[in-house]
Amino acid sequence: MVTVTFDKVRKAFGEAVAIPSLDLAITSGEFVSLLGPSGCGKTTTLRMLAGLEQPTAGEIMIGERTVNNLAPSERDIAMVFQSYALYPHMSVRENIAYPLKKRGVPKADRPAMVQAAADLLQLGPLLDRKPRQLSGGQQQRVALGRALVREPKVFLLDEPLSNLDAKLRAHMRAELIELHRRLGKTMVYVTHDQLEAMTMSTRIAVMQGGELQQFATPAEIYHRPANTFVAGFIGTPSMTLADGEITMDQGRPVLKLGTLPLELPANHLSERPEGTRRVTVAVRPEDILIGTGSFRANVRLVEPTGHESIVLVNAGDVGFTVRVAGDTVLKAGETIPLDLRRERIHVFDRESGRRLNADLAAATADPVRSRA
Amino acid sequence: MMPARRSTTILANLVTWGLVLLISFPLIWMVVTSVRPQTELFQIPPTVIPRAITFEHYIKLIEETPFLRYFMNSMILATSTTIVVIVVGTLGAYSLVRFSYRGRETLAALVLFTYLLPSVVLIIPLYLMMVKLGLANTLTSLVIAYTTFALPYALWLLRSFMAGVPEDLESAALVDGASRIGAFVDVILPQALPGIISTALFTFILAWNEYLYALVMVNSDQARPLTTGVMNMLITSFNIEWSLLMAASVMMSIPLIIIFAFLQSYLTRGFGAGGVKG
Repeated sequence: MVTVTFDKVRKAFGEAVAIPSLDLAITSGEFVSLLGPSGCGKTTTLRMLAGLEQPTAGEIMIGERTVNNLAPSERDIAMVFQSYALYPHMSVRENIAYPLKKRGVPKADRPAMVQAAADLLQLGPLLDRKPRQLSGGQQQRVALGRALVREPKVFLLDEPLSNLDAKLRAHMRAELIELHRRLGKTMVYVTHDQLEAMTMSTRIAVMQGGELQQFATPAEIYHRPANTFVAGFIGTPSMTLADGEITMDQGRPVLKLGTLPLELPANHLSERPEGTRRVTVAVRPEDILIGTGSFRANVRLVEPTGHESIVLVNAGDVGFTVRVAGDTVLKAGETIPLDLRRERIHVFDRESGRRLNADLAAATADPVRSRA
Repeated sequence: MMPARRSTTILANLVTWGLVLLISFPLIWMVVTSVRPQTELFQIPPTVIPRAITFEHYIKLIEETPFLRYFMNSMILATSTTIVVIVVGTLGAYSLVRFSYRGRETLAALVLFTYLLPSVVLIIPLYLMMVKLGLANTLTSLVIAYTTFALPYALWLLRSFMAGVPEDLESAALVDGASRIGAFVDVILPQALPGIISTALFTFILAWNEYLYALVMVNSDQARPLTTGVMNMLITSFNIEWSLLMAASVMMSIPLIIIFAFLQSYLTRGFGAGGVKG
């Protein structure tokens, strides 16, 4: 069983602190995505795990072993790079066999292992070609083959799909999920694409500014974002984020959002606000209902995408993004009734960005078992 | 339109070939003179195409003069210089490209700074140093001297080639189980090979053609390379052995002509890399 642990890991490049202090515990067999905008420290985190960067402080463990001072070759990991990093002067066969050669696998055993990896990824007919004779998708599979040929403890993947076109990316996503299920290995996957993270991961570590924002299952992150950053970052289209104020009225919290008064369920918040509390409110596009309710909204823009449409509306000084069924007939300029699903409204402290909903502490199911 | 364009083409061709002829005339004259019998040499009017062809000068050169020794010296000298420069230059360029340490850029700039000093200025100090080291009058002293001016250039040329090798390749090799040296040998060297070859050629040619250092630092026949050896042997205050001199010149050029013929594409690549990125 192979766990991966970051214990108060800090990384600074000279004066610039990339990662102030990272704690992350990855369970054996997990598929964890490090997700965040560019420059959030996710690639640095992965490279530290690979041994390509030295942490400034803290401890990184693979299994029971502290790997801080181990060379990449001693960590028993495999890595797939965004650029694939195939050795241009070697054939596909030599590329895949290279890690075997470097790890002293007897020459006689290598062909069978290369063949097995090639079969798994349907690379058989390409074995004697050079990387430059392959398409992007094929190169990607060779890079995967080179990573999995020697069955490492941990797989590291650094944005491996970002150079593929959309169709191939969707295909490779499915293949990676399948591969993870079949191999049952711990995988750490870096991406800035939330769709990849949501579809493939058992858990997602959302990062921003070198700090871990939330580490939870995709469902948890989607339905219970831990702070305003996660709320704004996850979901396409993004949630509507707006400033509001909460006061208590006869034991029930009342949210004033723009000019809209919204009575929230009594147990909606984890703490009772004293007086007026300044909050940031986030609402998913699908949690806003159109054609019902007492609020009046003005339609600004309709973006049909086929099976659904994204509608931008204004209600009570707040601009909402709404997801509606594709067959809904709406015109810009129209005034329509609108309602919010109160129990799904996310409330965050405006200063700290911390989630105030009472449901945050909800238990998370075993992330690994949930896939099988 | 068409005739005008054709006449421009013809004119351009004429000018080009005229230039080629002008530049190559001394070379042609060198070859022709080297196979002309002694009797025909100072004939007036001179003949462009010799009436008889003889190889006596070549035979005389090889059999009766230390030409072959000089040739060997030059070979040893150019080859050793190339090996030293390539080994040190490749590792140095790799370090400049891949590692970050204090003063890295300053070091790279200082290396180039050595070019600001005319080599004449350095000859005497270098010679005195060689005397102190007990290396005066040896091929080794020339190898060291040539390295001092060939290495900076090689370092900059190789640096731009190394910078073109993606860092991910090396990271991949490290993760795949290679040591740093292993990754360097398995991945970086093959990728930088065209650059290394072209740098090696430049260095070889530089060392092969060098005259000034050889003239000052070596004055024994044992260690003289071709450039100074041939001059010393055939040009005296009283007489110039034109036929032998030309034959020697032809033979001196042959290694370089062979190199140019076979490895021309590497040389042009070297010019490109040095020019664009260096």
